[in-house]
Formats: sequence, C-alpha cells, structure tokens
Amino acid sequence: MARDLAAALKHAPLRAPAPLFDRPAAPRGILDSQRGFMRALGALCVVLVAILPFVDASRYTISIATSALIYVMLCMGLNVVVGYAGLLDLGYIAFFAVGAYVSGIFTTVLGFPMWLALPATILACILAGIIIGAPTLRLRSDYLAIVTLGFGEIIRITANNLEVTGGPSGIHGIPTWEFFGWSFADGFTIGGIEFPERVVFYYFVALVVIVVGVIGAGRLGKGKLGRAWKAVRDDEDAAEAMGINTYVAKISAYIIGAVWAGMAGQLMATHLSAISPNSFQFLYSTLILMAVVLGGMGSTPGVIIGALFVSLAPELLRDFAEWRYLIFGVLLVVVMLFRPAGLWPATAVLPWLKKRRPQPPPFTAAIGAVDEAASTGGDAVEPSVMESVDGLPATDAEEGRRG
Amino acid sequence: MSALLEVTDLTLRFGGVKAVDGLSFEVREGEILAVIGPNGAGKTSAFNCISGFYLPTSGSVVFQGRSIVREVPRLWHSLRLVHLLQSFGFYRVLPSRVTKWGMARTFQNLRLFRELSVLDNVKTAMHANLREGFWSTLLHTPGYRRAEAACAREARGWLDFVGFDDDEELYVGQLPYGEQRRVEIARALATSPKLLLLDEPAAGLNFNEKQALMALIRKVRDLGVAVVLIEHDMGMVMELAERIVVLNYGREIADGTPEEIKADPLVIEAYLGVDDDGAAVDDTRLRTGAVSADAIAAAIGDGAGGASTPLPGTRADQEGDVR
Repeated sequence: MARDLAAALKHAPLRAPAPLFDRPAAPRGILDSQRGFMRALGALCVVLVAILPFVDASRYTISIATSALIYVMLCMGLNVVVGYAGLLDLGYIAFFAVGAYVSGIFTTVLGFPMWLALPATILACILAGIIIGAPTLRLRSDYLAIVTLGFGEIIRITANNLEVTGGPSGIHGIPTWEFFGWSFADGFTIGGIEFPERVVFYYFVALVVIVVGVIGAGRLGKGKLGRAWKAVRDDEDAAEAMGINTYVAKISAYIIGAVWAGMAGQLMATHLSAISPNSFQFLYSTLILMAVVLGGMGSTPGVIIGALFVSLAPELLRDFAEWRYLIFGVLLVVVMLFRPAGLWPATAVLPWLKKRRPQPPPFTAAIGAVDEAASTGGDAVEPSVMESVDGLPATDAEEGRRG
Repeated sequence: MSALLEVTDLTLRFGGVKAVDGLSFEVREGEILAVIGPNGAGKTSAFNCISGFYLPTSGSVVFQGRSIVREVPRLWHSLRLVHLLQSFGFYRVLPSRVTKWGMARTFQNLRLFRELSVLDNVKTAMHANLREGFWSTLLHTPGYRRAEAACAREARGWLDFVGFDDDEELYVGQLPYGEQRRVEIARALATSPKLLLLDEPAAGLNFNEKQALMALIRKVRDLGVAVVLIEHDMGMVMELAERIVVLNYGREIADGTPEEIKADPLVIEAYLGVDDDGAAVDDTRLRTGAVSADAIAAAIGDGAGGASTPLPGTRADQEGDVR
C-alpha cells in the first residue's frame, strides 16, 4: 500500500518517514461529515431547481431563474480568481463579454450552429485570459485591481466601436441550440406540462452547465492547483518558496476564471438572443464581485448564496418600486456588518461538527515516538509528545483553543 | 565532503547601501552551519539572494553545481530593461525553481498560509512532486485519488517527524506560536530539500521549545539534509553548529568552528564594540591575554543559562553600550 502511494508521487531525493500511526478514516455520513452534508445539500438544491419549471413555468419566473443560474456560473468563475487566488479583478465582466460576443458573432455573422461556437468561445476566453493576464499578473493587489478595471472598460469600448460587434446596438437574433433540424426554439411537452418555447434551453441546459461548473470549480479548488492558488492568496513569497511558480498559478486561475465567465456569456447570449455593450458595464463587475465577497470568498456554498442574493433580491424587492435599490444597499451593509467574512465563509464548520474532538494519537504510537526520539537524538524527547503521553495538559489547551 | 552550496563574492546593493558586501562561504553536505552577526549585518539579505528572492548585484551562488545567478547581456543594461525583464522571470532563477532544485527555507517572521489547515499547509509544499493534472483533478481519476492519498500520507509523515501532535485540520492561526514554528519546518521539509535554510527558527520560543527545536534540527541533519541557520541565541548556536560564519556590515568577518569563533578578536569586536581609540574591550584583554568565550557569554548571554537570551547587537550596541 505504502509503495503504491509512493509511486504516485514524482521522484524526490527526500521522502518523509512513515507516519507514526494510521489516522482513522474520515467519517462519511451525511450528518457526520462536512463533505457528506454538503453533497446531500447540493443534490437537494439541484433537485429543487430542476422541479421549479414543473411548479411554475411562467415566462417571468423561468427568465429570472435562468439569469440567477448564469450569475451563479459567473460568480463561481470569479471565485476562482478572487476567492481562491486572491487576485482582485474589477474587470471580470470583460470575459463574460468575450464569451457572449464570440458566440454571437460565430452564430449570426459567420453562421455556425451554436454547438460549434462552444469550443470557439472557450478558446477565445483562454486567449483573452492570457492576453489580459500575462502583463498584469506581475502586479500585486491594488495595482492589479486598477489595471483589470482598465481592461474591462477597453473590452466594452472596443465592442461599442467595432463593426463586427454591431456597435452600440450590439448583436441580435442569436439563435438557440439546435441539433439536426430540431431546435430548442420549438419547445415541447414533458409529463403533460407544456413548456413555452425555448424554456428547455433557458433552463435545463443552463442548469446542467452550472452544475458541472460548480462541481468543477470546487474540485479544482481542492486539488494541487487549488492549494497553490490559496497559498498564493495567503502569502505569495512563501508560496514561491514552496516551489510553486506563482506566476503560472495566478495565470491559470485567471484563465479558468475567464473560461467560466465565457461559458456564462454564451448561456446569456443564447438566453437573451441579443447582446449589447450596455450589458457589460463596470457596474456588473462590481455586482459579481459583491456577490462573491458577500457570500464568502473561496466558499462554494457561500458564493452560490451570494449570487442568488444579488440576482434575485432586486426582483423580490420589486414591490418597493424605486426604493428597492436603497433597501438592497441597506441589506448589504447589514450583512457585511454582522457577517464580515461572508454569509457562509470558506472556513465555516457546520455547528454540530464543531464539537468534534481531534482523535488523540493512540497511546502506543506516542510511546513509539518517544522511543524513537530517545534512540535517535538522546535528548530529542519533545515536550509536546510528553504532554500527550501524560494525557492531561494537552486536552485542556485544545479545549480552550477550539472555543 | 563536497560543497553543496558555494557563495562567492556575493554583493547586494540597495541604492548606496551595501547590504551584502563580497560574501563568500560554502555549505558542505549534511552539516549544520550557523550564520550570525549583529542586527542589520545582512544575514537575511544574503539568505534572500541565495534562495532567489533578491537578485544580487554581483557575485555567484552555485547550488549543487547549478548557478542561481544568471548573466544579463550588456544590451539590456544599456537599455535599462534589466529590472523589467527580471520581473517577468527572464535572466533569473525564480525561487520556486531553486526550491525544486532542493533548497528549502523558512522565514524570519512566520509565514504560514493562514487560511489553510495545518495538513494543507504541508501538502502545499509538495506541489512540485505531485502527479496531478487539470483533467485528473476535474474528473477525480484514480490517479488523482492515489496522488492525493500519497500526498496526505507524506504530509502526515512530516508532521509526525517534527513532533506536531495537535489536530491537523486546525487552521494555522489557531495554533500556539511554538506549534506554528514546527509546522513551518514540516512544510519546508515537504519540499524534499537537500539544504534547509532556517531564518531565526528559535525567535520567540521558550527554553523547552528551543531544546526541542535543537533536537529536531539534529534529526533533520541525520536525514542527510544540510541545515543553515541564522540565529541570535548564542547558546543554541554554539551547541548546535558545526561551523559558524559571522557577518558584520554585509562582510564576512570570520568562518570556523564554534571554538575558533569564540576566540576570534574580530567577532568580539563586532559584538562588544571598540573604544574610540580603537582598542577592543581592553580590560578583558588585559585580564585574560586573549578575549575569552566568557566575554561573549557575558555580553550576549548564554542560551544554556535559562530563559530567553535577547541579543544586543544593534547599531547602538556597537557604539559601545554593552561595554
């Protein structure tokens, strides 16, 4: 087993000595582990979202719900850039614009079907990520924010002035997905409920893409790349000293953020069937950034909540007419005052799991550590090891720290 | 034994100030070397040059036969583009590359990843040794799962090695200071180094923790890893180091075994100061003929004596306060 594991790593001159004792496997149940609970919660949410059209298939509801889903996708992408890698990006909407415009131009001007525009969108976003990221990512914090702000505006103004993008009036008549003559525009009937035209695309395709996007971003955040991003966020120099090429880590976060935004842009172009430079103003960059910060930077559930809040709150507050943005703003301030780390911070532990005590090392293992230390270094008996053998002082200290 | 690291004529200039001035020394395989000197002597600057963070003004640093300093063509100098090019990673060796070659370091003030758990902190250091690609992470392939399991096992191995026995899922900010120091060493070891640079590892530790740290450093050396440490605790340095390099004003003033260093007049001058007429600590000299180890111990404290031993060695001290 150990040898199998060692083969999974690249050759390195120095290997860690085997752990002194085997840790018990992490708990797996829905209520016993954070991971299990989050999976169950995620599945429940997907089911709820999927049955929404069967409950209320009105044009208004579906349209609002679809844009909320697109916001979720956008925020998951920005979460990679801001939440994981800690790069303050104030021009993120530029990638959304690139995705929307590339798919729009490919389908209307060049006449390709929508599914062929998909790889083109992804490629264009990767390219845009490199072009914008390569020169700017050498900068740190405030400078980066200002430069990205500039790039966001450049993309919008370029779209406003080019002929191929339709100038200020933008592109309209963007077709929806179609396969072999059957188009989502035809609409159809499931389980006796007739869906209005294109609702299938509006909703279910968006749902599938967003589920893949959310799970993908979450997985990337947990692997080697995700750890590198978070290391760069917490301390760039220390990350570099740990063998992480911080430039590559940052640009990869930027590219992945760009691709996620591009996918959202394509969904949005097909959803609205018309795009114009007005949809990509600086305001939207801040709105998405706000959703990420509000929900909790680097936290998947937090960011989803933030995205839903930012996209749905103005709609739900519609009854208050012109007061709604004021109320929206006040709500935001209140949330940030009471939950400064976000609604669901990345470091949050489920309340009923907080009391979970760390497994103390098995008694024999601790003895082994002392023996080994005594035989190798003579005076190498470390005080903390002694403490855990005594069994008393260490637990008190842990109790206090945990509270 | 062959030299693992050779530093020759290393000079680092910040504007008009020479932080490091013609420093030369070598580190042999598997030895413990201490770098000492008064505050502001250029110890940390030298570390930063060696590990690739600062670009030295001149001189060479060769680690395992590979140079960490790159030649810059004259053209770029004359066009004043050197700084720009180097900031983009040209004509320099990035610190991450130096780490991959097998040199790990810790920082003077703890620089752990505060929003990562203890285990993730150590795992992060294994970045370069991990077989994980973009797609395997996205799809959670068996290869990815194996690599993650191996990574966790290795990280736990290092945590056990340094004697960390708390909950590995805690965020490092929740740990007491001494434990954080341990985690930082575990993290540096997880990069699989041949040479470990420790920048004041004992700063802020109490007597027991210092004893444990010394045992740990010896354990690291026993793995075949050479250790270079900057340290102000003379008791610890004298007991632990096999060789000592002493810096003052960016210049190397002595290099030798602890006994030689204790007896070196230049070292005593640097630490104890000189009279206005240029005679170093004359009364001591009068009494003993040569200045003894006791003089240093008396002036800078002896770590073996007990609690913390802050080192007077500031510029003010050199003016003569300690006398």
